Amino acid sequence: MRKNSLITLLLLLGLLVFTACSGGSAADPTRAPATVSSTSSDNTSQSDTSTPAEPTPAPTVPQKLTIASGTDVENMNVHLVTASPSFSVLEHIYQTLFYMNTEGELEPLLAEKIEPGDEPQTFILTLRQGIQFSDGTPFNAEAVKANLDWVLNTDNAAPFRFLIDRIQEVVVVDDYTVQINLNSDFAPLAAHLSHGALAMISPAALEQGSEFLASNAIGTGPYLLSNWARAESVTLERNPDYWGEAPKIDTLVFQVITEDGARLVALESGTVDIAVRVPPAEAARLAANPNIDIITTPGLRTIYIFFNVTAEPFDDVRVRQAVNYAVDVQSIVTNLFDNAALVSQAPFASPIFGYSQQTPYARDLDKARELLAEAGVAEGTTVVLYHPTGRYIQDALVADAIRAQLREVGLNVELRTLEWTQYVPFVRAEAPDNQVQFAMLGWGTPTMDADYALYALFHSSQIPPGFNGAFYQNPEVDALLDEARTNPDPAAREAAYAEAIALIWNDAPWLFLYSEIQLTAVRTNVEGFVVHPNERLIATGASKR
Amino acid sequence: MAELANDSASRPNSGVKITLRRLFRSPGAVLGLIIVSLFLFISAAASYIAPHDYDLANFAMARRPPGAEHWFGNDEIGRDIFSRLLHGARLSLNVGLISVGIGLTVGTPLGLISGYFGGIIDMLIMRLIDIMLAFPSILLAILMVAIFGPSLQNAMIAIGIVSIPVYARLVRSSTLSVKEDLFVEASRGMGANHFRILLWHILPNTLAPIVVQSTLQIAAAIQASAALGFLGLGAPPDVPEWGNMLQKGRTYMISAPHIVVFPGLATLFVVLGFNLLGDGLRDALDPRLSR
Amino acid sequence: MTTYILRRLLYAIPVLIGASFLVFISIRWVPGDPAVAIAGETATPELIAQIRQDMGLNEPLLVQYGIYLRRMFQGDMGNSVRSRLPVTDEIALRLPRTLQLASMSLLVAAAIGIPIGVLSATRANTWIDGGSMIFALLGVSMPIFWLGLMLIVLFAVTLPRWLGLNEPILPPTGTGTWKHMVLPTIALAANSMAIQARMTRACMLEVLRADYIRTARSKGLVERTVIYSHALRNALVPIVTIVGLQFGTLLGGAVLTETVFAWPGIGRLLIDAISFRDYPVIQGTVLVITLGFVLVNLLVDVLYAYLDPRIHYS
Repeated sequence: MRKNSLITLLLLLGLLVFTACSGGSAADPTRAPATVSSTSSDNTSQSDTSTPAEPTPAPTVPQKLTIASGTDVENMNVHLVTASPSFSVLEHIYQTLFYMNTEGELEPLLAEKIEPGDEPQTFILTLRQGIQFSDGTPFNAEAVKANLDWVLNTDNAAPFRFLIDRIQEVVVVDDYTVQINLNSDFAPLAAHLSHGALAMISPAALEQGSEFLASNAIGTGPYLLSNWARAESVTLERNPDYWGEAPKIDTLVFQVITEDGARLVALESGTVDIAVRVPPAEAARLAANPNIDIITTPGLRTIYIFFNVTAEPFDDVRVRQAVNYAVDVQSIVTNLFDNAALVSQAPFASPIFGYSQQTPYARDLDKARELLAEAGVAEGTTVVLYHPTGRYIQDALVADAIRAQLREVGLNVELRTLEWTQYVPFVRAEAPDNQVQFAMLGWGTPTMDADYALYALFHSSQIPPGFNGAFYQNPEVDALLDEARTNPDPAAREAAYAEAIALIWNDAPWLFLYSEIQLTAVRTNVEGFVVHPNERLIATGASKR
Repeated sequence: MAELANDSASRPNSGVKITLRRLFRSPGAVLGLIIVSLFLFISAAASYIAPHDYDLANFAMARRPPGAEHWFGNDEIGRDIFSRLLHGARLSLNVGLISVGIGLTVGTPLGLISGYFGGIIDMLIMRLIDIMLAFPSILLAILMVAIFGPSLQNAMIAIGIVSIPVYARLVRSSTLSVKEDLFVEASRGMGANHFRILLWHILPNTLAPIVVQSTLQIAAAIQASAALGFLGLGAPPDVPEWGNMLQKGRTYMISAPHIVVFPGLATLFVVLGFNLLGDGLRDALDPRLSR
Repeated sequence: MTTYILRRLLYAIPVLIGASFLVFISIRWVPGDPAVAIAGETATPELIAQIRQDMGLNEPLLVQYGIYLRRMFQGDMGNSVRSRLPVTDEIALRLPRTLQLASMSLLVAAAIGIPIGVLSATRANTWIDGGSMIFALLGVSMPIFWLGLMLIVLFAVTLPRWLGLNEPILPPTGTGTWKHMVLPTIALAANSMAIQARMTRACMLEVLRADYIRTARSKGLVERTVIYSHALRNALVPIVTIVGLQFGTLLGGAVLTETVFAWPGIGRLLIDAISFRDYPVIQGTVLVITLGFVLVNLLVDVLYAYLDPRIHYS
């Protein structure tokens, strides 16, 4: 007995020590992300050897900027990621041919210019010279072709392939000239080429295959991937061979802190310099802190609730208008967003070409009840509202708030939420299977043109499985959108859009809500940090005092 | 836990009166009984005793801390938290009762059959139970809800299914020990069929551990339902389920902690109540542990 | 003994295959489409169809499972849909974190829970006993995710504010230093500690009533000697069992704790994978957690059989 219990104790301790040790050693930050860090340090060393040692003499200690982001990078292959946080990291490593600045203007980046070719439906792209990828591969016409072909290759299933799917062929004319042959006229090509997903990856890396690309990042940008500790952080180091103006920050860390509150605690205590997605309720408190500034960035994303106009009770325009009258969007924005959102006055946000301001449906309960009564909707009718959770700022909260307000006009709203991956196919199900009555979605317009904002959402050709989840069909609107799409005259386009927007506003296929404002909290000693309206964080021009 | 519980009831209890007397002698059990009774009362009477309309939102009152008018403060869109908690009690009770019902109605026959017939049937059932027990129970519940879609109904079913092995094993071992008792032999000798024996002789003898286990299981179910709600895998967003309230209030944890403090406290007390009562019942039913 | 262990190991194989089949099949009933997850917000139906084809989602279920099983035996659990990295790599990166947290919690829980249990048993029916058991029952009843939230509010917000500090006393999330471990460990350990205290008390009470303890006492041994060198040693066998079994429970609890504290372990990997419908990762993590659970339970059983002379296995 005695001997046995002694052995028990020893075995127990042994077990604990064993597990504790194995855990402990792995917690060692230098060892934890074994596969990822070893491969990525390889490419850093490669780039080191490719250049003669020419360390920029740093007058002060190396500067490190830590950004608390909400989610980890999905993967390092910029052609495959879809989420803004991923692009925020990767756009420091990879660069695009053109850059859409915060004002919505195109600037040359890796390409110097784009001009129509001699033949119809062609473009000639002139590239900037003397640029190398961080693995030493030169950036040239071959590299552009390799990247565009990779995205166009359907085997690679690139999510943003549609941006350039009108490209028929990419032809290398000479080292720095590329000819792009299209299969139709397509004016916004340059704008589409500015999308982060079409950034340039080293052709040598592309050849190594998907698994290599998933954990390595070899681009032309101001930073190099130094370490990726999955679900914890991504660390970037300044690229010593960067072709452009050298950034001031030496080390850039994107630390993943999923919890909103925890992100702010980290910022307030100074362990991070920047925190993204500040909950609106916390903004005022943070702004009162002398060490913290809040950057307010009106976004390009409009949040709306679409009605299925082919199903009861929202097939009646009066019911749709009644809902618009019943919901006090202004109060939601004021009280629940602390004004960190803009009440929609059109189906998309204002900085976008073709914007035409409408008068919001102001809250009018009597009118709402009257319209409902006229339409024969009985008191206590139950309708189901679908909404995503955690996809947009306070999305679930807004759904809850709308439910509360519709209750006041006698509509009994049931809320249902689905994981995003189930949500999208559900709300975009084709006609006979579509069970949606009304549902919340958001729509960003990265090209900053009304065509992107309206055509996909309101044109009758775009009903599900397209993006026109409302099944909205108005021949007049169709005609106006078609005209605006093909007419080269900007003034005529603007007029057509204004007319279309007015029609849409009155038909109310949506409960018009608001467009998002990104709140980013920054320590006051950080300067030059930029939050792009397209939700990208740009630290290239940042410095710390 | 289950093992201890079934030991306790392997012998017939010595009368309801003695059990109750023992129960009331334990202060813990009495406290448990009080909490559980209060909980039952609130579940039944929430609509009458709630001071405010639990579903009425006043945006201007969003995230207000507790005060004289709203005892537990207002939630993220300005609803009265106290009233919502009262209404949420009914949901928690439902989850507890229904999931325990599922575990009980599936697990008990499985255990009875397995223990009584033995042999290949026993082996098959027990292997199935082993597979279910190969998952940590919360993991299995999360998985099931994730698969069949988040809803209160699915949460109840998942929690119920997860508790099947507990009942099956409990009843099986009670059955095994009762089976060999003389009176079973005797009734079999007199030509009673299996069904009669199971129903009239064996089942009654497994009741005591089942009652104890079910009380504890209600506690576990309420806890699990809150956990699922917290992960967004439980009740739909429009009902005042406690886990749900926690999940939604979490974002405002720093500036308005009261939104998450009270639903958590409510869960804690109710679970504590059922655990106290279950413990008390077990002690009262188990002569060996009596003082 | 060896035969027993071998037999138990053999038993574990069908259990694991059964579990993996259960997970595999049931996940494919889900309406959510992983192809949509990959394709993103603006995907065209053609692209989604293409991805489905590439992922082999169009094959019959049993064929998919057969392929999956064969690959698994070769140590290949497929690639994550989200990161496109091998699932084995993903798990290898996260598992140590979870083991670290779970074993730390187990250690803390045992270090506090067992002494409390012993103390309660030796002072049975005193206020110390009563108090400890109420404390333990509170621990059992605590929703651990809520405890986690409360700890964050307390140590990162409320206490620093009262003390006029500018930074949290303990970091609410993240990893790196020992300080990061404190809050998640407490949250995860609470349940387990309480269960161990209760079980230890029960075991000790039983042992203290045994004949040899009476004999020892009647021989006039000092009470302390009786308790610590006779009773505790004998009670240790079942206590070890309970402690061991707790490890498995902690692996499950880690799913919640890791979500609250954003701890980059396997539990959070699973929750993320569920919301992304990342089938290969869901399967991989569930399988690994299940494997760990089965193995620990097996180990505990074997240990128990080995230690307790009263139990014999043929």
